[in-house]
Amino acid sequence: MTRETLVNLVILAALIGTALVAQALGEGFVVTLATKAAIFALAGVGLNLALGFGGMVSLGHAAFFGIGGYVCAILASHAASGQPVAVLPFTIAGTNEMPAIWPVAMAVSGLAAGLIGALSLRTTGVYFIMVTLAFAQMIYYFAVSWPRYGGDDGLSFYVRNSFPGLNTFDPIQYFAICATLLVLALGVCALILRARFGLALEGARQNPARAQALGIRPYGLRLTAFVLSGMIVGLAGALYADLNRFVSPAMLSWHMSGEIMVFVILGGVGRLCGPVAGAAIYILLEHLLGGVSDYWQVLLGLLLLGIVLFAPGGLVGLIAPRRRHV
Amino acid sequence: MSEPILELRDLRKRFGALVATDGVSLTLRPGEIHALIGPNGAGKSTLIKQILGEIRPDAGTIRFEGQAIDGLDVPARARLGLARSFQVSSVVPGFSVLQNVVLAVAGASGRIYQFHRPALRDPALVEPAVFHIRHAGLAGREGVLASDLSHGERRKLEIAMALALRPRAFLLDEPMAGMGLEGARQLTAILSDLRAEAPILLVEHDMDAVFALADRISVLVYGRIIATGTVAEIRADPEVRRSYLGEDAP
Amino acid sequence: MLLAEQALNGLQYGMMLFLMAAGLTLVFGVMGLINLAHGALYMVGAFACAAVAGATGSFWLGLGASLAAAAAAGALVELAVIRRLYARDHLDQVLATFALILVFSEGTRWLFGAFPLYLTLPPALSGAVTLPGGLQYPLFRLVIIGLGGAVALGLFWLIGRTRLGIRIRAGEADREMIGALGVDIARLYTIVFALGAGLAGLAGALVGTIQSVQVGMGEPVLILAFVVIVIGGIGSIKGALVGALMVGMTDTLGKALLPGLLARVTDAASANAVGSALASMLIYILMAAVLIVRPQGLFGVRAG
Repeated sequence: MTRETLVNLVILAALIGTALVAQALGEGFVVTLATKAAIFALAGVGLNLALGFGGMVSLGHAAFFGIGGYVCAILASHAASGQPVAVLPFTIAGTNEMPAIWPVAMAVSGLAAGLIGALSLRTTGVYFIMVTLAFAQMIYYFAVSWPRYGGDDGLSFYVRNSFPGLNTFDPIQYFAICATLLVLALGVCALILRARFGLALEGARQNPARAQALGIRPYGLRLTAFVLSGMIVGLAGALYADLNRFVSPAMLSWHMSGEIMVFVILGGVGRLCGPVAGAAIYILLEHLLGGVSDYWQVLLGLLLLGIVLFAPGGLVGLIAPRRRHV
Repeated sequence: MSEPILELRDLRKRFGALVATDGVSLTLRPGEIHALIGPNGAGKSTLIKQILGEIRPDAGTIRFEGQAIDGLDVPARARLGLARSFQVSSVVPGFSVLQNVVLAVAGASGRIYQFHRPALRDPALVEPAVFHIRHAGLAGREGVLASDLSHGERRKLEIAMALALRPRAFLLDEPMAGMGLEGARQLTAILSDLRAEAPILLVEHDMDAVFALADRISVLVYGRIIATGTVAEIRADPEVRRSYLGEDAP
Repeated sequence: MLLAEQALNGLQYGMMLFLMAAGLTLVFGVMGLINLAHGALYMVGAFACAAVAGATGSFWLGLGASLAAAAAAGALVELAVIRRLYARDHLDQVLATFALILVFSEGTRWLFGAFPLYLTLPPALSGAVTLPGGLQYPLFRLVIIGLGGAVALGLFWLIGRTRLGIRIRAGEADREMIGALGVDIARLYTIVFALGAGLAGLAGALVGTIQSVQVGMGEPVLILAFVVIVIGGIGSIKGALVGALMVGMTDTLGKALLPGLLARVTDAASANAVGSALASMLIYILMAAVLIVRPQGLFGVRAG
């Protein structure tokens, strides 16, 4: 076992352990914080697939987070009202079953990622950053100006969606759902990255000219990774919607995209469990610094600056150092 | 005479007022090393890029194993078996030697959209990769990170990756560049054996290597091929002596 | 008449976007740096204008202060942070400038509070003028159009005719070369960055006067400026101008006309809803179209 794998396992165990201990001590609030960290970590794991392993610096992943959230909230609100979501071309009824909501959330965010990715990947470098940011902003403005589902005010649903055999209102049980999905997503990513696809994706990131000379087209690889990444982030969005029983355009905002990126960076880019550590640290900072000052984001900004300028491997990089790729 | 593997017919490319390729025709026959020489700025790089598919010629056609490949992009030509090395060694720096060659085998197979089986435990990838690594003279170095290799070893790694493409032709762009005396001697031996795998179009400045290896030589000056022939013919060609080799040429 | 008024609004919006995009595109072109904090400098300009105009009672001093404060903040940020990022990859640049946004935004909220500030125009600039054809149009918006045009001309002159411009163009073409020419690159970069920041600050003050001055005002404009640059092409002042006018016009006319056009085919209520939602997406659709046809932008030379 490499030192990094060990660090990965310790980080995951710490997150799950925190929730269990908090549960035992009756600290429901801490369990909810841990749930939030697990969901943010899932979003970070998704972005990391595109950013860390595919080399695509996307500043538009809030689009997929928000789309996943809105799919969840829209289906739930229709289930509550009994109105179908659509009648043409065929009837789509609302639902409050998580196992039905998740695939839809992932499919819709994956579709959006396919469209945005197909266009954005025609560019590279700073263009790619600007274009992903702009497309996410387009969806943000659409949500703001589309009154059907709350527009600027967002959309609430009053009952958390259900999962067969579990009581999702119990914080520790909802945490278990989120943590399980996080572990599953990590497993899927680990598998994909060791397979031919991951090898080719990483090779095309490090040396695209060489990859092409070996008969590999980077565009298709990157687009596939971008779509997978969007689907995972969409799932995280659906879970986040259920955590709050509320969605708003804020989930789609550029600020959210930046935060998801911060989870990845705090932990260390291109490290499988980096986003888990990053999200946990982010939640911890928000909680601790937020208690010190209402303006805790100034401190977060300074910390982030410090990491970028002086510790480019992120915080996991400080514990399990690794040479940076050229 | 056997069918040429690679055939350029009347290739033309201009950039504004500069005529970089001015009606170049050239063949690469099975089993031969065909060296392309010429002074800097003669248009060698532009010609290579057209063969590889990085830029499109304005006119003329390129045939590979009898088939016109003008409409194909770089990866498609690579998968047909057109293997290249780069002027400056180009490998995946963060990959081990084995990973680099496994990547090449996977790329050549055209089946890179596999998501579950670990690539480094897939015998269909690893066995050929290990074979090519040995063939290129890198046995025992499989686990070394490519960025830790010496310059000469990186050249060998490039050759192993080219071999993994099951090449029908090699296009080697200044493989001797930056090699020491001993390295160049070793590489010359490897390239000489390589022609048994597939013919080589060799772009090279190192005249010792060219004269040692080439079966035929073409001389490119100002975008035109001014002479093609055996080593002896080229050495004797008065125009080549005047315009390229200079009077002190061997 | 309505159309003429909306066209002028679009022109004014476009000019404001140009002020924002011009600095960004220069910084991209010369230093190869993506600066998310450009929107924060826009906000700094607006707050400086509001604070100085509030304290002295002079709008003109406020406008001057917006330029000076944003340029000074830009120079400071360049010296302290940005110059460590030129050699880094784009990801580090995105993160560091995102961190700067957090610092600037929350810092401003701490200093000035969360409530929007409003600026009052001096009598000489307020009111409306009657244009040929009888259209009444606010004088201040015309001033913004004129100012934008003047800045555009000034930049074309600066880039095309002055020593600084030659150095900027050399820097865009080849970063190593200008070092070899003996140009003090570090100083050139600081100047270019401060120049871009000053223009952003001026834009912030002008828009803050029309709308309001508040924390977070910069980022939506920043993203629009990105759209402008993607359309116009990186590093091109001409591209920034054309792109800005295209975006300004498309957005304004789309929002004004689309609901009305849709009302002809469907009922008024849904036409309004669909129309305004669609209009908000128009400029991004324009950007997508440019990406399909010319990924390097209308006036861009390279993609990347």
